[in-house]
Amino acid sequence: MKTRSIIGTLLVAVVIFQSCTKEETSAPRVTLIEKIVTDIPADTIVGFSPIGQPIGTGKFTFYSFETNSIVPSSDSNSTKWDIAMRGTTILTNNGTSGPGKGGAFLYVGTFDDLTVVPADSTFKIDAAPSYAITASSNRGWYLYTPPTNLVTPIPGRVLVIKTATGRYAKVEVLNYYKGGTTPPASASDAVKTFSQRYYTFRFTYQADGTTNFK
Amino acid sequence: MKILILLLSFMYSSMAFAQLSVDSASARSIDEVVVTATRTPRLMGNIAIPVTVINSKTVYQYGSLRLNDILGEQTGINVIDNFGKGVQVQGLSSEYTLILIDGEPLIGRTGGVLDLSRITVRNIRKIEIVKGPSSSLYGSEAMGGVINIITDGAGQNKTSAGLRYGRFNTLDGNINFSRKFNNTDVTASFNYNRSEGFSLKPNQIQKTVEPYWKTAQQISVNHQINDKWKVGAGLRRNTTYIDNTIEVSNQGNSILSKGYERNDEYNITPFVQFKGNKIRTTLRGYVTGFEAVQLLNVKGNSDTYNDRFNQVFSRVENQTDWQIREQSSLTLGAGHVDESVASNRYDSMSTKRKNSISYFFVQHEEQLSDKLTLIGGFRFDANRAYASVWSPKIAMQFKASEKLSFNISYGRGFKAPDFRQLYLNFTNLAAGSYSVFGSEVALPELNRLTSLQQIEQVTSMVGLLSALKPETSGGFNLGAKWKVDNQLQITANLFRNDINNMIVTDIVAFKKNGGQIYSYFNLKSALTQGLEFDVDKRISKAFSIKAGYQYLYTADKEVLNGIKKGETFKRDLTTGNSVRMKLADYGGLPQRSKHTANLKLNYENTSGFFATTRMIYRGRWGTFDQDGNGIINRKDEYANSYLQVNASAGFSLKKNLKIMAGLDNILNYKDVIFLPGNPGRMGYIDIQFNF
Repeated sequence: MKTRSIIGTLLVAVVIFQSCTKEETSAPRVTLIEKIVTDIPADTIVGFSPIGQPIGTGKFTFYSFETNSIVPSSDSNSTKWDIAMRGTTILTNNGTSGPGKGGAFLYVGTFDDLTVVPADSTFKIDAAPSYAITASSNRGWYLYTPPTNLVTPIPGRVLVIKTATGRYAKVEVLNYYKGGTTPPASASDAVKTFSQRYYTFRFTYQADGTTNFK
Repeated sequence: MKILILLLSFMYSSMAFAQLSVDSASARSIDEVVVTATRTPRLMGNIAIPVTVINSKTVYQYGSLRLNDILGEQTGINVIDNFGKGVQVQGLSSEYTLILIDGEPLIGRTGGVLDLSRITVRNIRKIEIVKGPSSSLYGSEAMGGVINIITDGAGQNKTSAGLRYGRFNTLDGNINFSRKFNNTDVTASFNYNRSEGFSLKPNQIQKTVEPYWKTAQQISVNHQINDKWKVGAGLRRNTTYIDNTIEVSNQGNSILSKGYERNDEYNITPFVQFKGNKIRTTLRGYVTGFEAVQLLNVKGNSDTYNDRFNQVFSRVENQTDWQIREQSSLTLGAGHVDESVASNRYDSMSTKRKNSISYFFVQHEEQLSDKLTLIGGFRFDANRAYASVWSPKIAMQFKASEKLSFNISYGRGFKAPDFRQLYLNFTNLAAGSYSVFGSEVALPELNRLTSLQQIEQVTSMVGLLSALKPETSGGFNLGAKWKVDNQLQITANLFRNDINNMIVTDIVAFKKNGGQIYSYFNLKSALTQGLEFDVDKRISKAFSIKAGYQYLYTADKEVLNGIKKGETFKRDLTTGNSVRMKLADYGGLPQRSKHTANLKLNYENTSGFFATTRMIYRGRWGTFDQDGNGIINRKDEYANSYLQVNASAGFSLKKNLKIMAGLDNILNYKDVIFLPGNPGRMGYIDIQFNF
């Protein structure tokens, strides 16, 4: 796994810094974190079931926005993680998934459109097997295309997340394959199978507890 | 009108024994008699509905073997390679176009596609193509149009044989025989077609097109009892056999499997006809069956993949044509259809799924003046398995002058839910253990699985499960035909089709093992519209040019609404960011080319030498989504446009021996992924002998 911050982070920081100084408030504090994270494995394929279906180990990968890192699964029953991924299923830390104050809903629009969590938003709670972020093709964040056997994030879908500690983040999944590149449709099933379940996503995390993403 | 009555007395829509020899060299001829547009013989120049005729001479000179070969070279018709070679008319896919042989519908579709390569064109007299909804006469499937293959007529003493050999060991042999005894006509034909197939991807066990053989046999006997009564019967049988060598992926290993696919199709067409002074009435029976078998033995596995599908369609129909006055005629028809399907895709082979349809239709044609002719009619189809349908149609022809005529028509079309959409009961264990249930079996199956505690969760779509309605359409055509002079003719046709209640699959439940359960719903609506344009120019006695162009716009109406509301996005290739879509970004329904065109050069001199060159252009077409929005919008979601050039030349050696040779796809254009049925350049030689 590797993470890389983008110029956006700096830019946002600078904007906040400037606006703060203009208003002559106290020492500026950067509360907005914007990152692109690549190659987060999410129960990658380790073998095949007796009927030939590709399978993983069945474990979720837990992630914290605050620390921008993977949380060990031993901490799964804590508020240290905000989202967890296994295949195309994404959990938030709440309800049947964890002890946190989390929640989520799907926003239709571009990542930049969402400058603030709308006041009338309802955050859904995980109630397995139904999750706040619907884990099925063309209903949640992704589209599965049978002829190509590929999973593609639907453009214009932003996951609005309430974190385990009740803060806010927005996430856009950019890719589902290793290296952040979807294999070509003509690639072999083996390539498609073994390069899947690697998330590339970008997120903005607001640490100050407000609903602003700007 | 006199000529009409004369014609009526001569021939009938039972084309198998039309006595007029209509073999004019050019489709431009307005004197050509056509039957498909109105189900009655009409002069082509007097028809209010757009009709195209391809005659046997064109089929021969273009070197066409199968129906897809010749249709693919026509303006406004595309042949799409998906579950066999399906036809696309006015932007509507194969399941919405009715294919008739001598006026009787062909059955046996896979995924809605009727494979045109099943049908030989070596024994035909002509092909008539009617575009736009024609359900007012033909019922289900006649939404985009009707294609009627009229086999070689009786009434002559002729025996001919032909042999053709081409690349990939493609061999085609045919024998056509017709005899006229006193009052009895007999015709028979036999066709054999084989090929060793080809590989577009080398170093693979599995061929792109597997070796196959096909046979077609036909015999018909007609007897004139006296000057009023006629009886007859036809028998036809088609067989297709395809070798199958498939690599099956199991636990990541590829396993070689061997097997075959075989389709058998037969039909029987008895009729009795009475022809009076002003009345002609025909009682026709039609029984047809289609049997498909797919067997596959996986190496090292005792399981045999065995897929069987049996369909039987039988119909009895009466059609009565009444010439009320010189300018006024009425056609009345009524019939009953029984259909049954047995398949191990649905249940076991012993369970037959049945439907029956009763219908009647009325058509009135009135010549209001020398310039104005009106046709109005409707058909009512009452069905057991789904809702009943009314299909009206109205058409008008206006002859502004001897040279210029306009026609305008509006019709409703429909397509009945097919057996798959009603009764499919399919679970794929290999790919995610998903299941698809037809609308009639979905609820019982869901209840059964629930009682077995296999259902994790049902979706809100379950509430929408109900009896499927037919898919319906409204189609509008506005055409003009301008005969500039004897050497030049220009035709144009504007069309628009609105299709509603389209049947799509959606998820009704999730299984505990993660598999999804799909069923069918009337949810989608779409539109196709465009312009078709043809120019036919005779340069000299021997040389002529034909050019055609179609502009086509298609759209899923839900997608259009989504874009208008700003709820549809695309992903930018370079930045990876989501961008709101504009209407202009939308590429329409997949498999549709906005631009298609053709240019045909024909040369034929009086000594029997001919040469043709045909250039067929197909503009880029949408294939599948790559950026997750489920629609065609990005450059990489299109297949490349291409130009196919075919040429042929031939001559008559003696009066009864014809030799020709041809080269298809001279530019050797190939597209391994999107044109799997196109092997590249294909040469052939052909000999025809008349005894």
